[in-house]
Amino acid sequence: MLFWQDLVNGILVGGIFAVVALGFSLVWGIMNIINLAHGAFIMMGAYTAYVLFATWHVDPFLSIPIGFVLLYAFGYCIQRFVINYVVRAPLLTTFLLTFGLSLLIVNVALLIFHGDTKGITTSYSGANFSIGAVTVGWTKLWTLLVALAITAIMHVWLSSSRTGRAIRAMALDIDAAQLTGVRVSHLYAVVFGLGAGLAGAAGVLISLSYSLQPSMGDPFVITAFVCCVLGGLGTVQGALVGGLVYGVLESFGAQYIGTGLQDAVALVVLLLVLIVRPRGILGKVTA
Amino acid sequence: MGGITGNATALRVTVGILVLLAFVPLLHNGYYENLGRSVLMFATLSLGWNLIGGYTGYVSFGNVAFFGLGAYTSAALWQHWHQQSLLVAVLCAIVVGVVFAAVLGLPILRLRGHYFAIATLGMALALQEIVANIDWLGAGAGYAVRPLDAYSSYYVAMWIVCAGSMLATYLIARSKLGYAFVAIRENEEAAAVLGVDPTRYKVIAWAIGAAMAAAAGAVFAGANGFIDPPTAFATDSNVFPIVMALLGGVGTVAGPLIGAIILTAINESLWSRFPQIHTLFFGAVIVLVVVFLPRGLLWLLDTRGGWRAVAATLGAYRV
Repeated sequence: MLFWQDLVNGILVGGIFAVVALGFSLVWGIMNIINLAHGAFIMMGAYTAYVLFATWHVDPFLSIPIGFVLLYAFGYCIQRFVINYVVRAPLLTTFLLTFGLSLLIVNVALLIFHGDTKGITTSYSGANFSIGAVTVGWTKLWTLLVALAITAIMHVWLSSSRTGRAIRAMALDIDAAQLTGVRVSHLYAVVFGLGAGLAGAAGVLISLSYSLQPSMGDPFVITAFVCCVLGGLGTVQGALVGGLVYGVLESFGAQYIGTGLQDAVALVVLLLVLIVRPRGILGKVTA
Repeated sequence: MGGITGNATALRVTVGILVLLAFVPLLHNGYYENLGRSVLMFATLSLGWNLIGGYTGYVSFGNVAFFGLGAYTSAALWQHWHQQSLLVAVLCAIVVGVVFAAVLGLPILRLRGHYFAIATLGMALALQEIVANIDWLGAGAGYAVRPLDAYSSYYVAMWIVCAGSMLATYLIARSKLGYAFVAIRENEEAAAVLGVDPTRYKVIAWAIGAAMAAAAGAVFAGANGFIDPPTAFATDSNVFPIVMALLGGVGTVAGPLIGAIILTAINESLWSRFPQIHTLFFGAVIVLVVVFLPRGLLWLLDTRGGWRAVAATLGAYRV
């Protein structure tokens, strides 16, 4: 059945979308920054996996923590030393700033890795199993499981750790949080670092089933935005639900509307959600 | 302060520069003519963006959609009806641009802030994809537009489009329309209470900006001689105009042309010296402009603090 295969494919890719959207949602929900460099961070994560695999044959699944830590450090510095200086400026400023950063990062990657596409082929790349007429690739299944695990860890950390609670307090009321001793400039950098780290982890996961190329991350920015709007902004559950639902929608869209129209499908979904249910599937009513 | 049209001296100097630009074809130098036409094109796009993004405060990230529509209108006129008149092409492009802007504007302009910005970005990307799937428009391969014999006509046409856009912006800014736009930017609810219908004025600002972009697109298609989805909906044509408006001064009449001249000059010198990495430098230029001059050069003229004023802005927005 084509229908079940599309549904399964959609859920499998939706797991990746969820991790992509999670980092984007944190940065947007807490600092009100639309990070147009999110796609560039995804690309950096993917190339980290590629370099480790090509040089030392490190299994991409083992590269996930490495990608996360590298991108976390990178994102922390970017926020601390650049974005923090304009974070309260009008919307256009951070929008253009992250666009400029994205341009910078992608072109540095182009210098280092050149424009040709690269890929990671592991010993288990083509392995799959079938349930009835539905075929599932092992890599994609594990990718989904890891994505779910990352989402769960983030949820627990944000709701119970001291830093996680400080971050959520900051999202509620930045001035009140500051009065209780939260170091905003440091925590903003932590949040952006987390967003970049999650993008990096997502990039490693993406490198397992997509081909690599310096501008590969760009389309994911729109995807992340639509997932956030779809699921509800600023919560881990929202990003997860948004990612999975959008994965399925895109999979059906490619089947029944046509490939090469992903952005058109995304725009229609975005406008429909914003008009019919602006707070997203799981979103709460806010002022 | 310069008021709604911006610093008066800067405006006079800019008009002077625009008049000087009209004489570039007399140099009979193809390189300068292309460069000058590029400045005029980006200035027009920037002026178009400035009406909705600058005066009305709705940050659009998809105005290239109208530029692309204009380019395709003029290309289709040649391809299917062998219509070669630039005047007809520009007028048709304006009609197509305005109709699209009005139809798409009604749902999209209901959104605000980030939602509006991303929806417009999505609109431009979606339109590029849709055009790439329509065979009648040459699909992904695009098609050629036969150039006019007198190549300089494209320069003159682009100059007229740019000068017309600047004059229109000046007249609009000083009229009731301009004050309505600014009222929406400063406080949409308050404007509505005072009798300014936000939806109506937002669509007007967006549609006039679209007309400017579409006209520039129509002239560009002919001058370029070839059109395909990536050239018609180029990221450069989408983002450069915004950075130009920001550099010159958002919500002023002179800002876009000043920004277009400076950034085209920077881009051109980077391109000739570092062809491989000029985009990289351009990314750096964007970052520097945004961090150090978030209010633009014209603002610097109006504030008498010089570099101390720049330092003060740095302090104002940081965390």
